[in-house]
Amino acid sequence: MDDGYAVELREVTKKFGEVQAVDNVSLQIHDGEFFSLLGPSGCGKTTTLRVIGGFEIPTKGDVLIEGEIQGYKPPFQRPVNTVFQNYALFPHMNVFQNVAFGLQMRKVPKAEIRERVNEALDQVQLLGMGKRKPNQLSGGQQQRIALARALINQPKVLLLDEPLGALDLKLRKAMQLELKALQERVGITFIYVTHDQEEALTMSDRIAVMNFGKVHQIGVPEEIYEKPTNRFVADFIGETNFMSGRISEINPEYVCVMVDETYPVSASPIDGVHVGDTITLAVRPEKLTVSSEKTREVNISGRVEEVIYIGTDIRYVVRVTDNIQLTIREQNSGGLAERRFQPGESVCVGWAKENASLLKE
Amino acid sequence: MATSHSRHKWRVLFLIFPSLFWLIVFFLIPLLLVFAISFGQRGTYGGVEWDLTISNYFRFFDPRDPLYLRIFGRTLYIAFITTIVSLLIGYPMAFWIASRPPESRSSLLLLLMVPFWTNFLVRTYAWILILRDQGLINTIWTGTLHGWLISLSQVLPGLPLEGLIHLTTNPLPLFGTDLAIIIGLVYGWLPDMVLPCYAAIERFDFSLVEAAQDLYANRVQAFLRVILPLTLPGIVAGSILVFIPSLGAYITPDLLGGAKSVMIGNVIYSQFMSARDYPFGSAVSFVLMALMLVGTLLYFRLAVDSGKGESDGGQGI
Repeated sequence: MDDGYAVELREVTKKFGEVQAVDNVSLQIHDGEFFSLLGPSGCGKTTTLRVIGGFEIPTKGDVLIEGEIQGYKPPFQRPVNTVFQNYALFPHMNVFQNVAFGLQMRKVPKAEIRERVNEALDQVQLLGMGKRKPNQLSGGQQQRIALARALINQPKVLLLDEPLGALDLKLRKAMQLELKALQERVGITFIYVTHDQEEALTMSDRIAVMNFGKVHQIGVPEEIYEKPTNRFVADFIGETNFMSGRISEINPEYVCVMVDETYPVSASPIDGVHVGDTITLAVRPEKLTVSSEKTREVNISGRVEEVIYIGTDIRYVVRVTDNIQLTIREQNSGGLAERRFQPGESVCVGWAKENASLLKE
Repeated sequence: MATSHSRHKWRVLFLIFPSLFWLIVFFLIPLLLVFAISFGQRGTYGGVEWDLTISNYFRFFDPRDPLYLRIFGRTLYIAFITTIVSLLIGYPMAFWIASRPPESRSSLLLLLMVPFWTNFLVRTYAWILILRDQGLINTIWTGTLHGWLISLSQVLPGLPLEGLIHLTTNPLPLFGTDLAIIIGLVYGWLPDMVLPCYAAIERFDFSLVEAAQDLYANRVQAFLRVILPLTLPGIVAGSILVFIPSLGAYITPDLLGGAKSVMIGNVIYSQFMSARDYPFGSAVSFVLMALMLVGTLLYFRLAVDSGKGESDGGQGI
């Protein structure tokens, strides 16, 4: 409890044979935080979760829960509970028995079990479903049972492994909000594994973006989205335009990058770069504007290649050089399918300096 | 409408005809024949006299002369022990095979089946060579081990080896005992236990064990509360597949059992082949068959109920 973290990973590495599933990961997760591990499949996020839960023992490093080193403790001795990817509900038990299982194992008196199970079922709006079997429930209901089965044990930390992965989009969106509300109500630390960036951005207090077993960036959703620190994060979260170039000038106000050796473009400075370094500039499509004249802080000219109408937005694809092509998302706030520019037209693409992120390779 | 319906009926009849024919000619008719004969009497020269009497059944259940009942009891006992031992060996074995990587599972299962390629009689004869007084085990027991103990006692005279040396003077009473029969039966029917258990365990979703462990179940609790109930159908099937043939075993007790270790299968055989008392042999067969039927039904009911008990218990914990 000395450092006040709910969960802390210290240089945790997990190898399966030659494969490094988790590579030297250090994390601190605060009490009551909704923390997401985000990354593509096979990035090590689930293994990280399993290491915390005690289903895998790290090859190197320590897992601390509530300041206590877990070592070789098996799952049933850790103050955490897990909501599994496919729920792992016991098919031979009814809903009541599933939810009661943890309390039974801990020898809680029967009367109390009954009371707490009903409470837990009430919390996930499934009161009265106690006698049903899991296979008689819909996916969303099964998901809630899995949640109730874990939460009833009042764990210090709840581990969730892509809990919404099997649900259809609409239910998924609804459950995201419900889950977030539930987490705020019960005040338990949630560690949430997902490959869905939108889900992570919507629900999390903080996000750790992972790839190939490494944590690439940890931060609040805004930070992760607006200020990605490397190309993987910028590419994985949302859509991004990349431009590579060489730094031609550095001063306290801005960094000047010669994009494609020809176009000087300025961006907010970052640490640890020098004149002459190759660097990548990343700008989100919705931060870009298209106009006929230079109207923004940074401007670059090009020729419209494509105009795509996608309902909420209009998407322009502008060719700047042979190597650089920018995608611009313009909100469809004008009239009926207003297309301000046509393919072939020369235009100016502009953005604000602070919207461009400099990414070291 | 009516014509299409009857045409459909004819088609079904046509399709099931081969199996129906087979069952009637080779199963039902002989069975009825045996049933009918069981109410007859042994003729003076071994034929059947159609008397319509239940004296054969009386003879079997005769409380004043419980010879056959006693054999029947021992048969049940041997079959029961065989089933339990097969389960205790077969279930962990199935578990182990199911936990191997998929590519080695099929070769392990194949290894399990390989003995089946040799005639059962030959394999049982092999057990005679292992179990008899001059067999493999007893050669080691009275020869190697005995000699070894004697030399050890000469080197280290202080050791209390007298008892062991005395014990190894005589061969172990293996051959011709119930134990030998049980060993032979377990050996013979083990694959029938392993395969259904394997099928059940292989289907089992091991993330459920993780879920149980996550919910504070230790390994034993996880096994008893989750793995066992969910693999019970395999255990039930395997037990039936071992128990039934053990009950009717004939070759194994005939070869490995002694004069005192007669099973009901041997009684039936001798009634037909030596005593030439077809009616009594038929009656014994029928008692055995009825028992198998009742036992199987009971067992299924029990297994299904215990499976249900887990789920229908409702709020009862």
